[in-house]
Amino acid sequence: VRGPRFRKLKIGVGHRLDVKASGVFVLGIGHGNKLLTDLYNCHLTKVYTVGGLFGKATDDFSDTGNLVEKTTFDHITREKLERILAVIQGTNQKALLMYSNIDMKTQEAYELAVKGLIRPMGKSPPIITAVRCLQFALPEFQLEIHCLHETQQYLRKMVHEVGLELKSSAVCTQVRRIRDGVFTVDDALPRTQWNLQSIQEAIRNCQLKVETELEKTL
Amino acid sequence: RRGLGVAAGPPSTRQLREAEEAAPVFQYAGKAAKRKDRVFVWGFSYSGALGIPSFVRPDAGWKKPRRIQPTPYRLETEEKISSAACGYGFTLLASNTRDITKVWGMGLNKDSQLGFQRSRRDQTKGYEYVLEPSPIPLPLEKPQQTRVLQVSCGRAHSLVLTDSEGVFTMGNNSYGQCGRKVVEDEIYSGSHLIHQLKEFDSRVVQVVCGQDHSLFRTKKGTVYACGWGADGQTGLGHYNITSVPTKLHGDIAGVNIIQVSSYGDCCLAVSDEGDVFGWGNSEYLQLASVTETTQVNVPRHLPFNIGKVKEAACGGTGNVVLTEEGNVFVWGYGILGKGPNLIETAVPEMIPPSLFGWSDFSPDTRVAHVRCGLSQFAALTNKGELFVWGKNLRGCLGTGRKEDQYFPWRVTVPGEVVDVACGVDHMVSMVRSF
Repeated sequence: VRGPRFRKLKIGVGHRLDVKASGVFVLGIGHGNKLLTDLYNCHLTKVYTVGGLFGKATDDFSDTGNLVEKTTFDHITREKLERILAVIQGTNQKALLMYSNIDMKTQEAYELAVKGLIRPMGKSPPIITAVRCLQFALPEFQLEIHCLHETQQYLRKMVHEVGLELKSSAVCTQVRRIRDGVFTVDDALPRTQWNLQSIQEAIRNCQLKVETELEKTL
Repeated sequence: RRGLGVAAGPPSTRQLREAEEAAPVFQYAGKAAKRKDRVFVWGFSYSGALGIPSFVRPDAGWKKPRRIQPTPYRLETEEKISSAACGYGFTLLASNTRDITKVWGMGLNKDSQLGFQRSRRDQTKGYEYVLEPSPIPLPLEKPQQTRVLQVSCGRAHSLVLTDSEGVFTMGNNSYGQCGRKVVEDEIYSGSHLIHQLKEFDSRVVQVVCGQDHSLFRTKKGTVYACGWGADGQTGLGHYNITSVPTKLHGDIAGVNIIQVSSYGDCCLAVSDEGDVFGWGNSEYLQLASVTETTQVNVPRHLPFNIGKVKEAACGGTGNVVLTEEGNVFVWGYGILGKGPNLIETAVPEMIPPSLFGWSDFSPDTRVAHVRCGLSQFAALTNKGELFVWGKNLRGCLGTGRKEDQYFPWRVTVPGEVVDVACGVDHMVSMVRSF
């Protein structure tokens, strides 16, 4: 029998990635679509590197929007930024515990809290589990953000709010997803490798990881 | 040449860039913007202990009085507060300024624990409830030179420590806790008497109030006590009351003590070598590691193998210590912070550092201070975060929830928490803004 190997493929998409962002984008092919819903129910964290720029505020929080305001930023130091990030982590930590719907009075809640495994297993507003400042060179800075249930626009808004807290303003220049659950940048295929061979190989490499993660959570 | 009738069209990139460069730059904070010091209070407000009069007597007719303030609320103060202490229904705030007014008090004043607060309606009587921070007139010899270092509050008495004029005591003295002779049938309400204590072997550097007793720690490392002793909390070898501060011996004789702590009827002391000594009430297994008796009236060394201890804090039924490595150990009875299953233990148990914000992301987060209220605990980390746990009596934990907290929980405070004082049903914290 001759002909192309695959004529129609059912492709499903994992967590959304909007137009201005880049990074790891998970797709499911054929039978893999069922695994997609299971992965979604695992509620694993995603990691982004977010680049920001101090001194400007725009209406859509990114550097391509309409300018709203310009401010000074020479009073900002790395310590101030890290202090604000610690507060953000703290409030999000509380939200994490509250939306996870676990009764705080039980011993299991305590054990999970010690291990850091409390996570909301249902619908919840965006929660940030960890933030870290990777680079700081006025006026630019770069943050690594681990989050759940977020959208890229929420991350850009967060950059804007960090700017406001520091009594200045900030816009987001770059949003790049470097990890989505078990899939990291190393597993992802760049544009040059979008052919059947590499796709099959990548699926084979990741199969084991996906199975262990699903078994662990469900 | 562009005619006047032609429409403008969308701005080109060059026009946008020029508009952006021409936009005015706003300055919200200059390079030398200083961080401000603020005071936040929360807990039971109806006694006036939070210092916000509108909670007790609302300023508008339709507003209802607020009995409990469940989350931190900012208290406006005139000066920067350096030390605060919460008693049983009242609070003292002190500033180390050289101005004449150095100490403010609010809350219950039925035993003149806040000094004499002259009532505006009747000039001969004093207020029994003080609703906002009111200055306490201390009989200082050099009011424009002496500085107040620290304040401490007990059930119905308070102590004020100055740098050069000794210790001032006021409030109830029925057990000699103010360091002066007990006068039979003395009426404490509306009293002007503030006693001054100067006779110690060296300068007093820390004062601590227990429920009805007082402890003084001097620069040489000795500890003095006076007040109620039925549980042995004065540590003087007997169970009677003492009305004059007397030196303690026992296992701490000759030891350089660097910190003492007490709030109920049990006392702990930490030496410079990191050893812990305890005396007083042991009904809740606080001292059960060395003795079966429920009252210990002589300081005893508590041989714990937890490392060098840096700070200790005593609560009503539970105790907590902080070691040099930054680990927090709890023991005693009640909600100790390790889940609902751990209700009592005689041997210190460590609370995992991951509950205080330590993680792979921030491995240098550690606890810097520990404090105790009557049935709650508080821990401050080096990142300026405040964690509380224990019984949530009338909202004193500040979490915004009504339930008790069985493991350390962050309190959302807008700023970096520098110090916290815990009382029975309210707490005061000193915070620096970002």
